[in-house]
Amino acid sequence: MARGMTMRIPAIRPAAFWSLLALAAIAIGVLALPGRSYSGQDREQLLASASAQHPAGTDALGRDRMVRVSAAFLLSMGGAVMASAAATLAAAGVGTLSAFSPAALGSLAMLACDVFLALPWLFLLMMVRSTLPLTTSPAHSAAITFLILAVVGWPACARAVYRGALELRKSEWMLQARAAGLRDKQIMRHVLPNLTSLLIPQFLICIPAFIIAEANLGALGLGIGEPLPSWGSMLLELDNSPMLMHTAWVYLPIALLILILLLFEGVATKQ
Amino acid sequence: MTCVADMLRWIARTLMIVMMVAVGSTVLVRFAPGYLSDAREMDSRYGNTTRVELAAEAARSASLAQMLSAEFGGWTRGNFGISRQYDVPVLELIAPRLAVTGGLLLRSIAFAWSLALCAALVSSAGRNPSLSWQAPSTLLLAVPTAAMATLCILSDCGGPTLVMTLVVAARDFKFLDRMLRNAWRDPHLLQARAQGLSTLRLVYAHILPSVAPRLLALATLSIVNALSALVPVEVVFSVPGLGQLAWNAAMNRDLPVLLGVTMIMAVAVTFAGMNPDRAGEWQGA
Repeated sequence: MARGMTMRIPAIRPAAFWSLLALAAIAIGVLALPGRSYSGQDREQLLASASAQHPAGTDALGRDRMVRVSAAFLLSMGGAVMASAAATLAAAGVGTLSAFSPAALGSLAMLACDVFLALPWLFLLMMVRSTLPLTTSPAHSAAITFLILAVVGWPACARAVYRGALELRKSEWMLQARAAGLRDKQIMRHVLPNLTSLLIPQFLICIPAFIIAEANLGALGLGIGEPLPSWGSMLLELDNSPMLMHTAWVYLPIALLILILLLFEGVATKQ
Repeated sequence: MTCVADMLRWIARTLMIVMMVAVGSTVLVRFAPGYLSDAREMDSRYGNTTRVELAAEAARSASLAQMLSAEFGGWTRGNFGISRQYDVPVLELIAPRLAVTGGLLLRSIAFAWSLALCAALVSSAGRNPSLSWQAPSTLLLAVPTAAMATLCILSDCGGPTLVMTLVVAARDFKFLDRMLRNAWRDPHLLQARAQGLSTLRLVYAHILPSVAPRLLALATLSIVNALSALVPVEVVFSVPGLGQLAWNAAMNRDLPVLLGVTMIMAVAVTFAGMNPDRAGEWQGA
């Protein structure tokens, strides 16, 4: 059916990776320019269109949109990468230990994972974010948001690692190692390297998922606090109809966010 | 007998998970650093005496045992506790919104399944994954739900059902496409194709029956995705459903309401997603 119309998806992983690095370098370059600050206000140019001074215009408070988008990109990417690394490490530890521990302990650990998985992410995030102190600083709110993402993100990954580790436990080389008299500690040293092919995709898949979760939380007013820029808070600009009629640069954050998420998807795609 | 035992084990496990979610959420909320702070304390209209009373009220509700007994007491009384914000039983707030949210979820999941299944059937029949089918779903997955809903309002096309359908269908399509693509590679289907059986006949007689048992996993995936998209969609489109209620409760620190809604979501996900295979996966290893 449609065979004639199909074409192979090109090898996009290296291109996506290098594009992301290039974007990060540009963002760092924008922030490194003298006199640029994500919270600095130009009160004479509120909602300004693109100009030499503000290449992507300014927001309703006169803050440079290009600088804020660059800062939001670096903040969300840095936070998501760290949260993803923490979630993957936790998942690797719990998944592997559960698979190689006695049955009751393994079942108990997976029951704990199911408890986490029974709650949709956003509700858990909203619940924890809403119980933070009223005077939480923006930097703390950013750290807490990504910490919560790591805390709620590990169980799904742990389940995948658990299944992979169980497969390893049944594998022939493992039986051979046990038969040869290797101790558990010696065997465990070979388990994690064999799970790398599972852990790296999990790590890469978590990054865009965390970026989207942060953007959704921010768009609901429960994300990173102002004046720190975040994708979510910049998406809130789309609710401001007069601003939309004034300048099309308001769409820059959403366009860039989609591009970045597509690039991450490209990096995570199996060839 | 084995089937009944499996079913009983599944029900026991599901109930245990729901119970653990309830206890875990309460513990999480109680030990969150801002649990004892009250938004009313920052309101300049309240005098010092009122603030002292608010602090005393917060201190009284600090005991975890008291919180748990209040929560389970609310369940046994059938009212889910009392809302801090509206001072009415939580059930009174939840009940009228259940129908709104349920209707929205059912419509979106039904549309999403139809859309994803049709697209996946056509797409998977090709030899390689086609860009023209994969690109739209990849693009849809890269747009945050809140942004998609806002863009729908700005372009004055579509509503909550369309956004939820697209969000759910995009992920369902990826899942179905992979599943159907594997099904097409079965040796007996290759043989049937080589003998010249029509695609339509192969789909009805072989493909759909072979993937039907795995659709349970798709149901879980759809429900989890739909529930995750619920809050942004209901908030942006001002739909008076459970998602909007949960968001309002989160913004106003109305924890009994937030816990009540979270429990309903947990029950929905748990009952949809806990298939008996999970309980026996360790033993099967």
